[in-house]
Amino acid sequence: MAEVRPDEISAILRKQLSGYESETDIYDVGTVLQVGDGIARVYGLSKVMMSELVEFPNDVFGMVLNLDEDSVGCVLFGDSTLIKEGDTVKRTKRVASMPVGNEMLGRVITPLGIPVDGKGSINSEKFLPIERKALGVIQRQPVKEPLQTGISAIDAMIPIGRGQRELIIGDRQTGKTAVAVDAIINQKNTHTPEAKELGINPVFCIYVAIGQKSSTVAQVVAKLHEHGAMDYTTVIAATANEPAPLQFIAPYAGATLGEFFRDNGKHALVVYDDLSKQAVAYRELSLLLRRPPGREAYPGDVFYLHSRLLERASKLNDDLGGGSLTALPIIETQQGDVSAYIPTNVISITDGQIYLESNLFNAGVRPAINVGISVSRVGGNAQIKAMKKVAGSLKLDLAQYRELEAFAKFGSDLDVSTQKTLAKGARLVELLKQGQYSPVPVERQVVSIYLSTNGYLDNIQVSDVKRFEKEVLEYIEVKNNKIFETIKKEKQLSDTTIADIRKVADEFLTIFK
Amino acid sequence: MTESKVSTRYANSLLESSLEKRNIETISKDMDLVYSAIKGNSELARALASPIVKPGVKSSILEEIFKSKVSKETMEFLNFIVEKGREDLLASIVQKFLELMDKHNGIVNVNVRSAVELAKEQREKLKQNFEKVLNKKVRLNFIIDQDVVGGFVAKVGDTVYDASLKHQLEILKKRFQEGGASLN
Repeated sequence: MAEVRPDEISAILRKQLSGYESETDIYDVGTVLQVGDGIARVYGLSKVMMSELVEFPNDVFGMVLNLDEDSVGCVLFGDSTLIKEGDTVKRTKRVASMPVGNEMLGRVITPLGIPVDGKGSINSEKFLPIERKALGVIQRQPVKEPLQTGISAIDAMIPIGRGQRELIIGDRQTGKTAVAVDAIINQKNTHTPEAKELGINPVFCIYVAIGQKSSTVAQVVAKLHEHGAMDYTTVIAATANEPAPLQFIAPYAGATLGEFFRDNGKHALVVYDDLSKQAVAYRELSLLLRRPPGREAYPGDVFYLHSRLLERASKLNDDLGGGSLTALPIIETQQGDVSAYIPTNVISITDGQIYLESNLFNAGVRPAINVGISVSRVGGNAQIKAMKKVAGSLKLDLAQYRELEAFAKFGSDLDVSTQKTLAKGARLVELLKQGQYSPVPVERQVVSIYLSTNGYLDNIQVSDVKRFEKEVLEYIEVKNNKIFETIKKEKQLSDTTIADIRKVADEFLTIFK
Repeated sequence: MTESKVSTRYANSLLESSLEKRNIETISKDMDLVYSAIKGNSELARALASPIVKPGVKSSILEEIFKSKVSKETMEFLNFIVEKGREDLLASIVQKFLELMDKHNGIVNVNVRSAVELAKEQREKLKQNFEKVLNKKVRLNFIIDQDVVGGFVAKVGDTVYDASLKHQLEILKKRFQEGGASLN
């Protein structure tokens, strides 16, 4: 054991004391009347603001949610058993806020900005309120830049633009989180020097985990680390063991951090995983605050709960720096029931939805996206021209395939054209299958979709489709890497590029077995 | 909560009627007396609050205690409260009345807690300073509280002016805990 020298200690003590000044502290107080279930009623605090942070003994913080005639209703962000009747409550004179800044990247924090990853304290100067008003019409502009998720099916048919709100909806165990995590991992491509050269702005990511198991959050963080995605990502964790108020404010905290990037002319992507659990947490504390219950026992303002959150996703106009905040909310449905209260609410707020289905998932179609009912209402404008060109026929072919899918079991009894459509559809579905954590850059997506919709897969066994895709892309990379470079640079598919692709692909077809 | 609403209502009406009849000084003096009597004697408070004691008995108890000491109007008010069955709230009504009186006269109550009794000139200085800061007439109530350790804690309404040694020590403790990593 190292020796401790007394003079060393006293030097430290002196240093600590040097900034100390005695002065009179002035603060406002109240008294706890009643406490329990994460709620406290407080007498006094006569000048307290709505959603102000208040300090209870034992370092427990609370937030004011009800201002009644002769008491104040607070929700507690800590253990309510540490608080007794008659305890003193102090005002902090600031509304619930969190520290923001670039220092947050690579960290795992609570919704109040306290790190939980054991990497020491975060020294950020700037605080922003957790609840902020969404921007108005004047400050915005239409979504026009793509946000590549790296998932072919999404980037081709349900494109997401920067500043969009795209809902990911599906039953449990259908890969909702996987889609979102892949999207985060794919943003790595926007942080490379190459992307900078091409004029692609980096996208900073925020993953908000609400009411999940701590182990699940740890897994996600580990995966992000493994793929080098933590460098530009912040994880905000309000796990299932945290009190409901923390789960309730977690998405707002995520939005606040995202807005920090957006307002500085940067781009951010925030994933809310998931909002059904947030709604449940909000229902819990609303009922405890004795607000009247409505449909499914949710309070009357549960729509506003989500609309004010998702409305904060936006693309700023160029005068304000042109930053953007893209939101990927996740909703878990029960047995595919999308007509329940919360799913319908969030569907109506967002700019489109990605449906994930468990029967597709079990049939091996992963990501289990049902492209028939998934839509993106604004992302089309954000797609690069090359993708737009090839994706049009892809959508059509898949739609035709779905129509005839039921007849597939009749096999050879069908006429030739039907068989052809079915064969093509089966290959397309196979092509759009994609492993987890393996995002595909957009230029590769364009080439493989071009090949698939132009008959190059027709003579290949369905089981060989993925292998063909992989090998042909490798072949192109070796033989004529210029193809990828041009698509990346020009962002469109010119006739010469098409001719190049055809030439190399024809060459490859002769040697593929 | 309902209790304080009821007592506020009674206290307010007493204040208004006394302002109308211009006998506020006598009434407030009487109320002081009633307040100290109830606070000073828990048996009286218990008897008033007890549902077993009949209203007539309560009324005669109050009459016997206060008749010779208070004005006619005050006695009427006490009987009125017993009649309305609110005698259990008497203490809180009287307290509310005194608070409203202070408010009416522009007097602010400042509760000062200190570890030792303050000297007379200290009290005077405190009073002058508070009157300057709050811009109101100030009534200081002094409480001895060993917990304060040193200095004083003054409470005006919901606002606390904390100049106590205890608070300073707490701040110091917090600061050491925050910077504690360097001690390892």
